[in-house]
Amino acid sequence: MQARGAMRFTIGNLIIYALILLCSVIFLFPMYLSLVNSLSAWYTLPTIVPSSFHFENFKFATTLIDFWTFARNSLILCGISLVTSTITSGLVGYAFARIEVPGRGFLFMIILSTMMLPGIVTQIPTYILFYKIGFINTYWPWILGGIGGNAFFIFLYRQFFSAIPKEMEEAARIDGCSIFRTYWNIFLPLSFPVVATVAILNFQGAWGDVITPFMFLKPEHYPLATALSIISYTASGTKQIITQVSIAAGILFMIPVVLTFFLGQRFIVEGIVTTGVKG
Amino acid sequence: MTEKSRRIAAFYLMISPWFIIFVTLGLFPLLYGLYLSFTNYYGFNMNNLKMIGWHNYDLVFSDSDAMYALGRTLYFTAINVPLGTALALGLAILLNRSIRGGGVYRTIFYLPSLVPVISTILMWKIMFSGNGGILNAILNVFGIDAVNWLGYDHATTSLIIMTLWGAGGGILINLAGLKGIPKDLYEAASIDGAGAFQNFRRITLPLMTPIIFFNVLMGIIGSLQVYLQPILLNGSELLARPIQPNYLYVVHAFQQIFASQRFAYGMALLWVLFVVILALSIVVFLTSKYWVYYETDRER
Repeated sequence: MQARGAMRFTIGNLIIYALILLCSVIFLFPMYLSLVNSLSAWYTLPTIVPSSFHFENFKFATTLIDFWTFARNSLILCGISLVTSTITSGLVGYAFARIEVPGRGFLFMIILSTMMLPGIVTQIPTYILFYKIGFINTYWPWILGGIGGNAFFIFLYRQFFSAIPKEMEEAARIDGCSIFRTYWNIFLPLSFPVVATVAILNFQGAWGDVITPFMFLKPEHYPLATALSIISYTASGTKQIITQVSIAAGILFMIPVVLTFFLGQRFIVEGIVTTGVKG
Repeated sequence: MTEKSRRIAAFYLMISPWFIIFVTLGLFPLLYGLYLSFTNYYGFNMNNLKMIGWHNYDLVFSDSDAMYALGRTLYFTAINVPLGTALALGLAILLNRSIRGGGVYRTIFYLPSLVPVISTILMWKIMFSGNGGILNAILNVFGIDAVNWLGYDHATTSLIIMTLWGAGGGILINLAGLKGIPKDLYEAASIDGAGAFQNFRRITLPLMTPIIFFNVLMGIIGSLQVYLQPILLNGSELLARPIQPNYLYVVHAFQQIFASQRFAYGMALLWVLFVVILALSIVVFLTSKYWVYYETDRER
């Protein structure tokens, strides 16, 4: 294989490199473009080459609407689901990975099958139920939803915990550790990669969620995702959307997601690539 | 307590948060929605619900908007899923070659799938915008006439292009699958004189079918539920109606529920979608034995 690879270096690899470069350009182009246009003068037509650098557009993105209030709302919602879901998903994943009881396989199949359930079919009746109970405009939907964990996160945890050698918990049991203590003292400290992966994916999911806040919260409690999808950037007294400032806001909005990805990239890529989809 | 009952108690205690929430906020709303779909619930008559049998379901199938939207959604899915699956696999195969800077390219391909929907839409609006839009400027360079990307004729194509931009989200799973293919298979093939195309056709593709199967299944389930992108691509508020060709099925349900307060009818719409998703999933599962290669077959 090595020898063959070297032999075909000139033609084969050249084509592959060309393809990869082409794809990279295509994938990066919209991002480059939004950066360029977020710096253009107001109401100008989209350009490919920057002609001016209006950095103040980013300032307007945070002042023309109540940007920081919405950002704070986003952080509250993210915080709630991050803490609750990361912890309970870990507990559930641990139970499925390490405690052998009858019926375990069947229950795990149920968890996996909920991944295939169309979310929208349960979301609307949940909205009606919460409306009846009076959970509208409270954080209960996020607290309860978080406590319930997430099927994919449970799956990631289970895969990770399954790979830890059995000797670890046998030693703990001989020392008289309870099952919970074994989890807390032995397994959790070992599982930083999977906790980081789940926490980051969790944060990104909650940060970008438009529809749950739209259903459950009043506009003043909307997070950025929902606010940006219903409020337009306009100069006072006009109805014309200032595209340049909107794009600047869109860029600001994606920064936390991109940042957390780069911080945790190592774990996320490893976590998903090593666990794969083979149950 | 015996060791065994201690274990059982710990197990059920640990999974109880998930289990309780699953029953109360998963299973129960699902069935509650089914129940509502047989009533005349329109938002204000909760204490005075009347069972009206299959009436809402009859309405779904005679509602020309719903049937049109279902058709558009199936069309969108039929194009989006194969292209998205192929793109994610193709990119992963490119990356799986031991190339220099592979990690950087992996990040570049993966990143768009991370970008939140709102930012994605704002970005692509500049690409698609009609006069002075960037795609048109590029087409112009090649001497092709400008196209109204967000207009009636091309709106769905634009929606698909924008969705495919995020197809790199599937490369991680594909890379995991590619790494799992034993190297000696390729070595044996090269001794037999197989070329790159034959390697792909006879080794890579068959061994990747379990992953392709997973991606196709999840792709179908996801594509049939798309609604945010079409709403925001043409409009700038959540209750806006997208341009006609992008009036997808869940958009219609969303409109019925949140704009017209037709809750019971909306639930009937969503349950029809649920059955469609279930039916398509079963079809994919049933056909999988003809095209998905499972490792256990080889061991026997």
